[in-house]
Amino acid sequence: MTSRRGSHSPAGFGKSLPERGLLLLVLLVLLEGSVLPLGAAGSPDTSHHTKAGNSAGNGTGNVTHKKAFPVLSLDYHHIQTPFEISLWVLLASLMKLGFHLIPRLSGIVPESCLLIVVGLMVGGLIKLAGEEVPPVLDSQFFFLCLLPPIILDAGYFLPIRPFMENLGTILIFAVIGTLWNAFFIGGLLYAVCQIQPANPSNLHQLELLPCLLFGSIVSAVDPVAVLAVFEEIHINELLHILVFGESLLNDAVTVVLYHLFEEFSEVGTVTVLDCVLGIISFLVVACGGVLVGAIYGILAAFTSRFTSHTRVIEPLFVFVYSYMAYLSAEMFHLSGIMALIACGAVMRPYVEANISHKSHTTIKYFLKMWSSVSETLIFIFLGVATVDGKHDWNWTFVTVTVILCLVARVIGVVGLTYMINKFRIVKLTTKDQFIIAYGGLRGAIAFSLGFLLKKELFPLREMFLTAIITVIFFTVFVQGMTIKPLVELLAVKKKQEAKRSINEEIHTQFLDHLLTGIEDICGHYGHHHWKDKLNRFNKKYVKKCLIAGERSKEPQLIAFYHKLEMKQAIELVESGGGVKMPSAMPSTVSMQNIQPKKPPLAKPVERALPQLPKGREEEIRKILRSNLQRTRQRLRSYNRHTLVADPYEDGLGDLLIKKQKMIELEKKIKDMNNYLTVPAAPPDSPTMCRARLASDPQAYHTKSVSDSVPAIQVDLASPQSPDSVNMMDEFRRAGQQQQQQEDQGLTMRPPSRPGEAGGARDPQKLTRCLSDPGPSADEEEDEPFLP
Amino acid sequence: MGSNSSNMNHIPDGQQLLQDTGFSAAQIIRLYERFEFLDKDNTGHLRPEDLETVPDLDMNPIGARIIGAFFPPGKETLDFGSFVRILAHFLPADSNRTRAGAQQEPANSTTGKLRFAFQLYDQDRDGKISRDELLQVLRSMLGLQVTEEQLQCIAERAIQEADADKDDAISFDEFRKSLEKVDIDHKMSIRFLR
Repeated sequence: MTSRRGSHSPAGFGKSLPERGLLLLVLLVLLEGSVLPLGAAGSPDTSHHTKAGNSAGNGTGNVTHKKAFPVLSLDYHHIQTPFEISLWVLLASLMKLGFHLIPRLSGIVPESCLLIVVGLMVGGLIKLAGEEVPPVLDSQFFFLCLLPPIILDAGYFLPIRPFMENLGTILIFAVIGTLWNAFFIGGLLYAVCQIQPANPSNLHQLELLPCLLFGSIVSAVDPVAVLAVFEEIHINELLHILVFGESLLNDAVTVVLYHLFEEFSEVGTVTVLDCVLGIISFLVVACGGVLVGAIYGILAAFTSRFTSHTRVIEPLFVFVYSYMAYLSAEMFHLSGIMALIACGAVMRPYVEANISHKSHTTIKYFLKMWSSVSETLIFIFLGVATVDGKHDWNWTFVTVTVILCLVARVIGVVGLTYMINKFRIVKLTTKDQFIIAYGGLRGAIAFSLGFLLKKELFPLREMFLTAIITVIFFTVFVQGMTIKPLVELLAVKKKQEAKRSINEEIHTQFLDHLLTGIEDICGHYGHHHWKDKLNRFNKKYVKKCLIAGERSKEPQLIAFYHKLEMKQAIELVESGGGVKMPSAMPSTVSMQNIQPKKPPLAKPVERALPQLPKGREEEIRKILRSNLQRTRQRLRSYNRHTLVADPYEDGLGDLLIKKQKMIELEKKIKDMNNYLTVPAAPPDSPTMCRARLASDPQAYHTKSVSDSVPAIQVDLASPQSPDSVNMMDEFRRAGQQQQQQEDQGLTMRPPSRPGEAGGARDPQKLTRCLSDPGPSADEEEDEPFLP
Repeated sequence: MGSNSSNMNHIPDGQQLLQDTGFSAAQIIRLYERFEFLDKDNTGHLRPEDLETVPDLDMNPIGARIIGAFFPPGKETLDFGSFVRILAHFLPADSNRTRAGAQQEPANSTTGKLRFAFQLYDQDRDGKISRDELLQVLRSMLGLQVTEEQLQCIAERAIQEADADKDDAISFDEFRKSLEKVDIDHKMSIRFLR
């Protein structure tokens, strides 16, 4: 809300408000920063006092004195740990808040950089206060608590289609690219360390294996950093999925290399057998991780089939199963990240078909919230840990590492792209290669892995950590800050924001079938063929098991169409079609400012619908209320045996119908020039309810967002549906003669509502940054398993 | 290359096809093998029944249409040249080699691909996708799972969205415009094995 006000107010006033807000925030931060060490210092004081009190009391006699009953006492120790954790989380959230109050700053500097700086400041403050910096980036804490939410968020909302289409490329970058990086950096570092004839520094002590281990730690592209930076630059889907997919899948390689080299650093030699075992281990780690994740995913999907009576805990299943997948994979030293991704991606289509809309929203918001907080905390902790850690700065080592990282990345990307382009249909251009190479950011995972190294085995651990931190800082600050202007400069294709139209949907399905047919004729078992087979298998067997009720049979095109129509109907209602709603005013304002993206209509569309006089409105309401009775009875006769008896459900369905009819009636009466095709779809289809609530739940001041049930039995070919259709057809036919103006609703559908922070208009595009939409267009995922 | 072109001698119009389409010699040979495989009675021509024997094509919702695309109205047989020329639509666009005799637009350009798809919709070849034609396509794709009214509504909505000149049908340009966000080159290309 603040940002909306800010954008509407005159420039001068708008500038001072966020700056004032920032000042307040800085004060708060300083306050908190000082509380932390004070808190740590406070506890010994209070305990000291009580001890002193006791001893004083005991001194006077053997009998324990009766002290005055403590009305108010301070016992910080009691709540210290949770309090500090909460303080950190609060700090992180306030920082996030602060950055978005100053749009100029967040435009230039990516959030991750600002957060690291904040971490540095807080760490500095703590050190200045003379207190010991808490070991915040403890590897255990990091890997078990901070990382999973981010990965789960990424995996759950992973755009499956582009991911699968580019899987080969992604795998090659992830596996071969990381291997190349690790060996190149490790090997060359070792070579450089050996050539130090003049001053025999301790670099000579560095063996090959620790070098290789260091190389493997520092070579992996970090998903957290990539997400944080790429989310703000809105690059096109292909590049985004390539870099991001690589950062996720290289976890398996990193895990194997790390353990391999760590094991063998003790021994000191590596044999051929070890290499072979390493390769086998890689396959086990990768495939095992995916398998574990898939198993948990299917379990979650299956569980969600039965949750129709306990809607409240549905989100819990998603989170718990995913987390357990991660932990189980970590237990076997498999790749936890891949397990999480597999779990989220597998369970999603089925879970979303089964759960209620509220649960869906809950899952989405919780995931975004947790991952957002996690990411913020990680960057802040990076800053704090930098201040805290014992550093061993060695000019040669650090600079060579940084340079080698860059060089290795560039050579790797160029070389691999040359090979990959022989097999790709859409080749990767030089610009693409540059972005992929430049987007290879390192992050906190590298630091944590370095932190895990044991001092006894790696005497140069501090030097490693310093180098790792330098690389992280370099990539995040330099590359992170400059990538946005570079993207602009190189005119790289940006993400396309607009939603899919029904035409696109129809035609893409048509083309899918066409290509499958052509492939069959050619006898060529390609991409489409297998996709088609998988879809068919999915539809025939898997969906029946994992999705409750009738929802398993609803074809995707119908679901999509319902969603569209519902959205449109709601938008029309919100624009003030005779119904007095508080949010109608801003809606009409924003609607009028919208430039239609569709081909310009022949006749100008009259956008502002005049308000009905009150008497008329009452008349209409009376008419509709009487009709409503019949509709309600009609609804009852649908098969609803999987429907939870929710008192709000009727109201919602009726309300929708009522609104639609009100609009139709009004048009018929008012002789207006703009029309909407009346959707004849059954009103209580689950996707329709979901779509309706997806747009703007605040618009409805009636019994707010109700628990729409996706397991509604919509008998699509039932004899009932023609009735409801005819009802609306009546109105439609009445207004038929004036129906030249199509889809006024389309022109009214705003591409993005001005002033609403980060797509609250379309929560499916909600991202953690609360800025522009992120990569995963949620809408696309209402698709078959492998669309 | 030398040995390949000598193998092509027994392929009718082999050299011509090499020039006209974007296929390489190896690809044409492979396609010829496939053609011979489909041509069960060895007449050198394919008939619709031959194509119908392709497995999985009967499960394809628009299988009949695709077969129909190979046999334009009036022609009952398909020779190898036409077979290859139709399949040339599905080559990736950047495999266009500069060919001496290329006057018109190559078949595998984006426009060529779209035109092919458009013709699959537009069965009566009047240059427009009428409401009925769209309904037929929808019916075949969605089948028995939806009611007639829903199909009508979807078709109605689709035409409204795309129809710019209000003639209640979708012309080729409107068709192309509605697909402008889709990467046609990627979506409508098959990787022909060498």
